[in-house]
Amino acid sequence: MIHFSQSLTRLIGELKKLPGVGERTALRLAFHILKSPRLGKDLAESLLEVHAGVRFCSVCFGITEEDPCCICSGERDETVICVVEEPQDLLAVERSGAFSGRYHVLHGALSPLSGVMPADLKIAELLRRLEGSSIREIVLATNFSVEGEATALYLGGLIKPLGIKVTRLARGMPIGGDLEYVDSATVQKALEGRNEL
Amino acid sequence: MKLDTIQIRSFRNIREAELSFSDRFNIIVGKNAQGKTNLLESIFLLGTMKSFRMGRNGDLITYGSTSSLIKGRGFRGSVSREIALSIMESGKKAFIDGKPVVRPSDFFGNLNMVVFSPEDIAMVRGLPEVRRRYLDRAVFSGDTGYLSIHHEYCRTLKNRNALLKLGERDGLDAWTERLADTGARLMVKRESFTDEICGLLGEFYRRIAGAGEEALIRYRSRADTPDRSVAALARSLRDTLEKRIPEELRRGTTLTGPHRDDLECLLNNRPLSHHASQGEQRSFVLALKMAEIEYLKRRWGNPPLLLLDDMTSELDRDRNGNFMRFLREKDMQVFITTTGLDNIHLSGIRNYSTFPVHDGRVFTEVAHV
Repeated sequence: MIHFSQSLTRLIGELKKLPGVGERTALRLAFHILKSPRLGKDLAESLLEVHAGVRFCSVCFGITEEDPCCICSGERDETVICVVEEPQDLLAVERSGAFSGRYHVLHGALSPLSGVMPADLKIAELLRRLEGSSIREIVLATNFSVEGEATALYLGGLIKPLGIKVTRLARGMPIGGDLEYVDSATVQKALEGRNEL
Repeated sequence: MKLDTIQIRSFRNIREAELSFSDRFNIIVGKNAQGKTNLLESIFLLGTMKSFRMGRNGDLITYGSTSSLIKGRGFRGSVSREIALSIMESGKKAFIDGKPVVRPSDFFGNLNMVVFSPEDIAMVRGLPEVRRRYLDRAVFSGDTGYLSIHHEYCRTLKNRNALLKLGERDGLDAWTERLADTGARLMVKRESFTDEICGLLGEFYRRIAGAGEEALIRYRSRADTPDRSVAALARSLRDTLEKRIPEELRRGTTLTGPHRDDLECLLNNRPLSHHASQGEQRSFVLALKMAEIEYLKRRWGNPPLLLLDDMTSELDRDRNGNFMRFLREKDMQVFITTTGLDNIHLSGIRNYSTFPVHDGRVFTEVAHV
């Protein structure tokens, strides 16, 4: 890299640290920012703001600016909680518009192989939320990976004895999906979980 | 699909080769350590992405090169298809008709193959681990969905073992249940394969050894419930696992499950490893391979490619002739390595090509018609 400008080199260097951004993309982004001073200023401000303003909700551990978050303090069904692994997963369920209850973000999944144990997740916090509450149902929406499934089972084992209904997201064919393009493991699962018409 | 041509670059001791194969018999001939098995291995990789030998990717690449390339061409029905595999130290990349393969399941099933090597003969006498490896490969070649269940099982097992090693009970029940569930699905697939192939095995063995001889294989697991459904097996496996948890915590590893199961080989109701002669053991494995070929033919509609690695030294004249007759009857593409053409029973075989191998270079001799 030619050292035409110290500050430009620094910007390129910082951009390159972002996931999915390589040398060429970083260069393109840096020149784009250089050419539009307004964008640069807005971007810089928003970057500072995001760390100052955003934190985790003390109830559900989702991303928020106010504590508790708008979902936890809003007019939502208080009797159902959907448990997800990461804040992004919360957004995915929320985007579907099909869920009107509240959430709980675990911030990970059990993985003894990588040293993630129950105490490393927001599990104790979830159980505290259930104590003496009006919650009737827990929807387990952890990922369908080996770790996500084990986490769901673990939570089920803790919550069921409390007399609360525990459900798990169904899995199977994607909507609008052509059968021929779906991988065989998914077809197998969809067959196992088939419903009567 | 049959393999019409192959192009190899920087694979083990083969620097460069471009070959056209016969659609029936291909005989790879040469002295030891010249590269015969390397050629066979490159064909196997095109079908499975894996080697039938142990080792890392780096071992596959010619010393001094950074990557290997294997490219095969064949016909699927009337459509030509090119399968390419590029091997780097960091991993393998597969391409079908020039397009990168995203899902491994798209790759498998194009070139189905069965390998028969001296190791298979050793299988009946070897450790259970060797038989499990055979079983996994055989089940997978007829059921590509097996791979994902196998991966899932191994990952669950590793997690559970990590927990046991820490002596941690919290969370163990969840991993036990997951292991039992995935394990049961694995077992059902292994059992259904074993059941199906067992009948064929008996038939082929009688053909080799004569009527009145009864060859059997049986999947042996700790879950001995009469009900062999996934749910029942999972329950049984979980019960066994739970009973042994104190011992497992002490030893820091999972002691029951399909990773400990075995494939039992029986001749006239007696274990093959102790009660059969070497000749009987060889006939048994030969019949097992024939059964596997027949099974795959039924499963996929056409027979798999057969890779025979130096079998002539293992099979005597009678068995050799018997096997070649079986192969002649099937419309199979066969690849055979041998140290000398005289070792192979070529009588009655008209359509074959010979590929002499010398110091990593492969030559072609005129196809006989």
